[in-house]
Amino acid sequence: MRYAKNPVAQFLAAGLVVLVVVVIGTLELSRRAAADEAINDARSITELLARSVAEPEIPRGLVNGDPGAVDRFDRAVLRRVLVGDVQRIKIWRADGRIVYSDQTELIGDTFPLGEDQREVLQRGASDADISDLRRPENRFEQGSGGLLEVYTRIESPEGQPLLFEVYFSASDIAQRRQEVYDAFQPIALGGLLVLVAVTTPLLWALTRRLERTSRDRTRLLEVAADASENERRRIARDLHDGVVQDLAGTSFALSATMRDPGTDAALAQRLEPMAASLRSSLRSLRSLLVEIYPPDLDVEGLNAALNDLVAPAAGSGVEPVVEVYDVEGASDDSIRLVWRVAQEAVRNTLRHSRAQHLTVQVGRNGDRLTLDVTDDGQGFVDGHSANGSDGSGGLGLRSLRDLIAEAGGRLDVRSTPGEGTTVHMEVAR
Amino acid sequence: MAHTTRAALALAAVTTLVIAGAPAAQAKDGDVERRGNCARTTDWKVKVGPEDGRLEVEGEVDSNRRGQTWRWSLWHNGSKSASGTRITRGPSGSFEVRRLMVNRRGTDTITFRARNPRSGETCRGTVRF
Repeated sequence: MRYAKNPVAQFLAAGLVVLVVVVIGTLELSRRAAADEAINDARSITELLARSVAEPEIPRGLVNGDPGAVDRFDRAVLRRVLVGDVQRIKIWRADGRIVYSDQTELIGDTFPLGEDQREVLQRGASDADISDLRRPENRFEQGSGGLLEVYTRIESPEGQPLLFEVYFSASDIAQRRQEVYDAFQPIALGGLLVLVAVTTPLLWALTRRLERTSRDRTRLLEVAADASENERRRIARDLHDGVVQDLAGTSFALSATMRDPGTDAALAQRLEPMAASLRSSLRSLRSLLVEIYPPDLDVEGLNAALNDLVAPAAGSGVEPVVEVYDVEGASDDSIRLVWRVAQEAVRNTLRHSRAQHLTVQVGRNGDRLTLDVTDDGQGFVDGHSANGSDGSGGLGLRSLRDLIAEAGGRLDVRSTPGEGTTVHMEVAR
Repeated sequence: MAHTTRAALALAAVTTLVIAGAPAAQAKDGDVERRGNCARTTDWKVKVGPEDGRLEVEGEVDSNRRGQTWRWSLWHNGSKSASGTRITRGPSGSFEVRRLMVNRRGTDTITFRARNPRSGETCRGTVRF
């Protein structure tokens, strides 16, 4: 799974797929090109034999089947044309009569010419086709395992067009095709493999750089978060040890003064609202302290911290509910992330949602710790949150998203206008 | 010398008797051979046999005289298949030509002709194969 997210692994996987597709395509094209090349070779051989060997040796009378002319031609060309891959020679008249063949039984026989053969006789050039061994003129080729026939036009000394036909063994053609194909393969495959070999280290280096940058960024975020936490802790400690203690002492002193029998009743009555205001300020200050840095931020203290977090909601006319279940065994880092996200989500709800109800639920989904902060406020259109952010839940949540992703978790913000907002977070326990 | 001449005459007489008595002798392996006597003292021989899908034709002239120039020709079904000029050589004073011909469908008629332009002597032998 870890490798699936690695860009180099992704590149190699995608590259492998592309490579396979390209290789298959290239090899198929190479195979066709090799087949064409092999057939072109056969055509070249045929035309060479026709122009350089057969045509100059054709004696007068051959076209009419003169036995002496046939003998002379046979002696002159037989060993010179049956070379290499050539299996059979036939020379046809336009009317389909075979005037010469190395298979002498065919001489004098007449068979209908095919359309392609007639076209070559009329227009010249050459053509090639797989032999139909069922045809009677090919009765001597049974068991040859397939033939390729190539034909071209020549002329007799009398000026009569003749069809010079050479039969090549299909296995020889296939062998030639394989030779050409084998020559293509290193070029086709080698080029692609070199490309992969060159680009992979480059991509690997680039990925390493990106990963290093990402790690630096995450470390900076963590440092910033830790610094913020330390600062909050310092402020909270200073407030708790200084102002809160002073205010608490003052509040106790006021209460004691009001309860003192020696205190004038009218004065005590005037001091009462001051003492009440002081107690209220003290409660607000303690809530603020919890918000700045909650005490006992671990599994056992999470429920109480969340309740302290939502305590100011009542003053805003929001009815809060906190539910924490099945969180035993969760790590302190996960608990801290839950706290931070809950803090940000609750803050957004109280500031912007105009909700009447707020629910904070922390639970478990398999091996994941989950948090859902739900309100029934005004919500917003995805992409346009009420607080003016980009709809990802506010700048605070957005900045937390990276930390959550780095911890292997995810953060979703779902909202519909008029139907409230839900912030959902999952992180490894 | 006289003894040699008598022996040669005896051989010629025997040959003539053989040819007269068996004008179409069959050779081994399907070969067909004909022998005959030219206009004077010269003998001829024609042999035809199958050879790898073709006909191997041999024509021989034996004049017992070395250094004679002969013009020869081979005819196949009445059409000239090959021709040339040869000189008799060796102790027997003979020459031999050999050619392959296309084995045509049906009977092939092969004729060997030879003519000594100096003496005007002519030899002619035919084989049907």
